[in-house]
This record gives sequence, structure tokens and C-alpha cells, in this order.
Amino acid sequence: MTTFDQDRRQLVALTDDVLRAHCGLDHLRARLDDDTAHTAALWGRLAETGLVSALVAEDHGGAGLSPAHLSGVLHSLGRHAVPEPFLETAVLATSVLGALPGPVADTWLPRIVGGDALAVVRLGELTPFLPYAADADLLLDLAADGSVRAFTREETEVVPVPSLDPLRPLARVTVTGEGTLLGSDRAVVTRTRSLAVAGAACLLAGAAQRLLELTVEYVGVREQFGRPVGSFQAVKHKAADLAVMVDMATAAALSAFDAVDDPDGASRAAAAKAYAGDAAARANVDALQLHGGIGFTWEYHLHVWLKRVMGLAATYGTTTALRRDLARELLARVTEERRG
Amino acid sequence: MSAPDTAAGVAEFRAEVRAWLAEHVPAEPLPPWTEREGFDLHRAWEGRLFEGGYAAVDWPTEYGGRDAGLRRSIAFAEEYYRAGAPERINMGGLYLLGPVLMRYGTPEQCARWIPDLLACRTIWCQGFSEPGSGSDLASLRTSAERDGDHFVVNGQKIWISMGGFADWIFALVRTDPEAGRRRKHDGISFLCIDLRSPGVEVRPLTMVDGTRGFAEVFFTDVRVPVGNVVGEVGRGWAVAMSTLGFERGAVFGDHAKFSRDVADLAALAGARGLDEDTHALDELGRVLVQTEVYRANVYRLAALAEAGGELDSTASINKVFWTQMQHDIFDTGLRLLAQDGAVVGDPGSLPGADAATLRAWSRWHHRYWYARAAMIFGGTNEIQRNIISERVLGLPMEPRR
Ligand SMILES: Cc1cc2nc3c(=O)[nH]c(=O)nc-3n(C[C@H](O)[C@H](O)[C@H](O)COP(=O)(O)OP(=O)(O)OC[C@H]3O[C@@H](n4cnc5c(N)ncnc54)[C@H](O)[C@@H]3O)c2cc1C
Repeated sequence: MTTFDQDRRQLVALTDDVLRAHCGLDHLRARLDDDTAHTAALWGRLAETGLVSALVAEDHGGAGLSPAHLSGVLHSLGRHAVPEPFLETAVLATSVLGALPGPVADTWLPRIVGGDALAVVRLGELTPFLPYAADADLLLDLAADGSVRAFTREETEVVPVPSLDPLRPLARVTVTGEGTLLGSDRAVVTRTRSLAVAGAACLLAGAAQRLLELTVEYVGVREQFGRPVGSFQAVKHKAADLAVMVDMATAAALSAFDAVDDPDGASRAAAAKAYAGDAAARANVDALQLHGGIGFTWEYHLHVWLKRVMGLAATYGTTTALRRDLARELLARVTEERRG
Repeated sequence: MSAPDTAAGVAEFRAEVRAWLAEHVPAEPLPPWTEREGFDLHRAWEGRLFEGGYAAVDWPTEYGGRDAGLRRSIAFAEEYYRAGAPERINMGGLYLLGPVLMRYGTPEQCARWIPDLLACRTIWCQGFSEPGSGSDLASLRTSAERDGDHFVVNGQKIWISMGGFADWIFALVRTDPEAGRRRKHDGISFLCIDLRSPGVEVRPLTMVDGTRGFAEVFFTDVRVPVGNVVGEVGRGWAVAMSTLGFERGAVFGDHAKFSRDVADLAALAGARGLDEDTHALDELGRVLVQTEVYRANVYRLAALAEAGGELDSTASINKVFWTQMQHDIFDTGLRLLAQDGAVVGDPGSLPGADAATLRAWSRWHHRYWYARAAMIFGGTNEIQRNIISERVLGLPMEPRR
């Protein structure tokens, strides 16, 4: 195994350890009871372990790692339904600030590294609602023309909207101030979009994986007609089909995230997210169906992941929109080739 | 296993393959292999591939391969499909028996069968299924009774791909019925049989689309040397399972074939003027995404294999995915053609289409039926779901006899 693979594996193990200890069911349940998703305590843990600053350059106090180090971490965050803006702050915002150096980056990167500031990123039509915006100290707005502006809390108006997934709160954000222009660079916008789309695919694959695990565990112990319901073939085959989709979604998501800097990074990200959305939709339907009544209760924890996958599937590009774009590109390319 | 390929090594190899294919791939596509003439042309093509050193690039050099690591093998396949080169015909030999011999065969058996197999001088077919034993393969009854240094084989195999064209068959036979009565998986042997032996009768079977792609094979007192058993006598089940693992798992690089099929699908949609049709875009997008996902999976499995991981548990997942994807591609094409989907390969369905697109359409129904078959052969997808649920997910076993 290469050191790179070892590093990745260690990061995932580290993430799993932290999340098992600090983001278990009791944490999620407490968040639901309080109606708050983000907590300074859990975010502080993620910062302490260096996960939040993994992508930040060393001279800003980070570890200077590449996105490829974090795909497995994102999958793990999805599996644990972590109610924190990790993708938004630790992946997207740090990447944008790292790519566009200047006073804004110099001010905000150390705060992010220290776990003292949250940032969210607006990506045009991909983000009609911004997750965790109500908790954010900084908004980075990436426009299609390549311009990137930073807005502080005071320069925005944040109106929370009722989120399907209460552990992933959403808001409508309007900017009220001028903001600060960080630069104009289409490559940065394209790359950040790919990171968001592929990153969301990793989170989705992780969450869908958890739905599969919860279901397999439950049908293995729940007995009816004198045998575990998981011994009925109708149940087994549903679980098997779901396992196929989740496994493939994971393969595509992780590799797309690892490959964001490849020339076809954007289309790989789109394909991965489109498929992860499909796999997650299947997981959503089958997990509840195979749990029966217990899965329908607020008291049982299945709904945390049901809602997580629905929320994520609707964000950073829906399956339908991404597929259509990919199909259009292919059609144009093939028509061109066969004509010439 | 060979050392992992370097990026530069792969690029260089890719360029070499591309150049060779550009020079050698027949300009006009070969007629289908399901008729004699087409089959012979395909066989001649295999001979040319062999001479070029490309019959099985991933095989060890001692067996006539190039010892190409997985990434070079994938690059070869990508180039092969990109070039539109002919369908491979000796799959039973190259993808199934060859690797099995390398794992279980004696040096003598490898020396005897591998060179001819690689050069496509002998075509091999797979004789597992019987009329009474499909999914429940271990219930098979074709018998092989020991008589001195021979086995005497009696029984019937059915639905044997390329059976009508093959020279040899590797068959599962029951050598110890007594052991089989205690446990049906015991007492089975993996036996290689020359189809020209006295007592063998091959009857080609016409497939659902009218082509003669498979056959039934009857054995009446066929004498086969004991030395033709691969692996231990009576322990053929393990050899068979390893064969099926190769059949179900990722044939590294076949994603390139599916990507080409999806490009053809896009061309069909374009030729029907569906460029702006959102329904068509949704359907095309769905299968395009599947092929992209499959490509990612192929590379993931390659990385896993390079790191020494085992791929057995992934084989069933892989088979369910690629067979459904393949079905979806061809099924989508038929549905996008609307009423013309009921007309087989008629150029009138695609006025104004270029030659490549018309050619793809002329083969579309055949490929469609093949896609349907793939969900059945190699262990039906229901059997794969049993395997996934029990061996990957750990759910309770089916009641078994
Ligand atoms: C085009 C083609 C090429 C082939 N080539 C070859 C070849 O080269 N060599 C060879 O040996 N064989 C070959 N086969 C045969 C193939 O392997 C068998 O058809 C397959 O294993 C299924 O067996 P069966 O047809 O007897 O179906 P059956 O086993 O009778 O199955 C009928 C239906 O019942 C379902 N079923 C059966 N058991 C279970 C279970 N336990 N749980 C749930 N569902 C179940 C099956 O999934 C299927 O849907 C080929 C078949 C085709 C169509």
C-alpha cells in the first residue's frame, strides 16, 4: 500500500473514531430535541483533529492535503449523518480561499482552521437554499462569470426555511452589502462546483450505506412467522439490489471526488452525484419498507437517514438535472463526431 | 500478478495498441459469428490478434501473454472497443478456461491446451448446464465412470454458447455418485473433452432471435483420458466456482464497450431528432450515468486487485449491475425508436443517419436479446441476489437440499 493510501485509511479511521464518540444517536437525538443542528462542541472536535483544516495550506495552519485524502472522510460523515457544514466550510470554502489568496483569505482561513468560523458557499443554481447559512460567519458567492465575492454576516440577510431534514437546516440568503471581490477565475468556480457535486455524492453514498446497514441489521433480528424476516427471499432480494446500488454509488462517488482535478472531473462528479441520488432514493424507499411500522416512528432513528438522503439528493444538483446535462453533452459530441 | 503499471508505461502501451489496431482492424465490420462464414472470419481475426501479441495481454509471458498489469489491460480493452474491433469469440477459452488452468491445471495440461487456445486454433465452450440442472447446478447428472485410465461419459449438456462452433468443451461431470448422494457438491469433476471424440453429438440450437449461437451436446459412452480432469477428481465444484467467478466479475475494460454502446444510443436519438426531447435526454442520461459509474467501478476493482484484495465477493454485485445496465441501454434504444422499435434494423427507421449509426441499429435487436441472456447465464441474477444477500450481507440462508 502506498503512503497515500495509508494516510487516507488513517483519516477515515480517525473520523470514524471521533464520530462514534461524539456524534452517536444520543447526539443526533439531542439536536432534534433542541432544534439545533450545528454545535460548537462537535465542530470543535472536528477542528481539533485537524479534519477541518486538512485542505488548508500549511502556511495558513492546515495540513495541505489534496481533496483525494477526504473522499472517505466525507463518506464517513454521511454514514454518521453529521449535522455540521463540513462540506461547505472545510472543503468548499477552504478551497476557494486557498485558490484566491489575499486579505480575505488571510483573515478567514486561520479562523476556520481554529474552528472559530463557519463559511458557506453559493454556487448559482446548485444552491437555491444554503445549508447551515444561519450558523455561518462568511458567505462566498461564486458567479457563473467566474467572479468570487465574500460577504460577512452583516452583509447578508439570512431567512431560514423549514428544512425537510432538521439536522441540515436551510436558508434563503440575500446579500445586502457590497462584499469583497476575491478575484475572477472560472477555473475556481468550475472546480468548486465539482467539489460540491462530488462531495455531496460521497455524503449521500455514506448515508445510503447506513440505511442499508440499519436495514440488514433489523431484518436479521426481527422475527415473524417464527423466523427472521430477513430469511424471506422477497426481503433478501430487495436488500441485495440495494447493496448493488450502494456499492456502485460509493465507487463512483469516491473516485469522482478523488478526480476533481482531472480534465473530465466535472462530468465524473455529475455522474456520481446523479447515481448516488438514485441509490439513495432506493435506500430511502426500501429501508423504511423493510423496517415496517417501527421505521415510521419519530422515536426510532431511521428517519434521520431517510431525511438526510432526501435533503442531499435535492442539493448540489438533482439526478434529473445532472443527467440531462450529461446527455446533452454526449449528444452534441456524438453528433459532431459522426457528422465529421 | 505483475507489478502495477506506471502512468507513462500505460500511455506508451496505449499508443502502441492504438497504432496496431488502426492498421489491422478490418475496415468493414465482419459478418456475425453466429453463421459459419462470419465465425471463420472472426477466428482469422483472432489469429491476427495472436500474431500481434494481443490475444491476452494480461496473461503471464510464459503462457504467451504480455504480463500487462491491470491498467495496461484496461487500456488495451478501451482501445479495442474504441477502434470498433470485432467481437471476441473464444471467451470460454480466453476468459474462463485459461485462467482456470493457470490456477488448477498441471504444467502438462497448461502446455497442452493453452497455446492453441490463445491462438484460437481451438475454440472452447463451457458445459455446465443440463436440462434438469440450471440454477441448481450441483444437481447435475452427466456421469463419468472410471474405466482404467479413462472416464466413460454419458449425459447431456444444454444451452452451450458457441457449442456449434467449438472444438473442445470443459464440462462438469459426476465421477462419484455415492459422494454426491451425501452432499451434491461432492463427487463432481471438471473434465475437458474433445468434441470430435466418438459418441459426442452436437446439435446447434436456434436462439430467440433466430441466430445459432448455442447448442446442446450429447455424450454416449464417450471415452476421455483421466488426465483431462482439471483439479482433483471429485473436487470439480471448487474449480467450477472459480470459473463462474471469472464469468461474473469485471472483465477488465469492458466498460469501454458499454460506453461505445451508449454513444451509439445517443446517435440513434440524434438521428431520430430527439436532441431537445426531455424524455429522451432523461433516458439517455440514465444509462450514460450507469456506464460512467461502471467505469469508476472497474478502476476501483483494479486498484483493489493491485493492492492484493480479493474480488470474489464483488463478482455477484458486478454481474447484477452490468447485466442490468446492458439491458437498459438496448431497451432504451428500442423504446426511443417508438413504433420503429418493432422493425428489426430497418435503415428506413433512421433517414439521414450516417453509416456507423445505421450499422449499430442493424445489430441493435441482436444485442438487445444478448443483453436479456446475460441476466440469465453465468448464474441468473436471482441466484446472484441470493449470493449477495447471504455472503455479502450475511442474511439467513435459503433452505437447501
Ligand atoms: C444465451 C445463453 C447462453 C448460455 N450459455 C451457457 C454456456 O455456455 N454454458 C452453460 O453451461 N450454460 C449456459 N447457459 C445456461 C445458463 O447458465 C442457465 O440458463 C442458467 O444457469 C439458469 O438455469 P435454467 O435456465 O435452468 O433456469 P432455472 O434454474 O430453471 O430458473 C428459472 C427461474 O427460476 C429462478 N430461480 C431458480 N432457482 C432460484 C432460487 N434458488 N431462488 C430464486 N430464484 C430461483 C431463476 O432465476 C429463473 O428466473 C446459457 C444460457 C443462455 C440463455
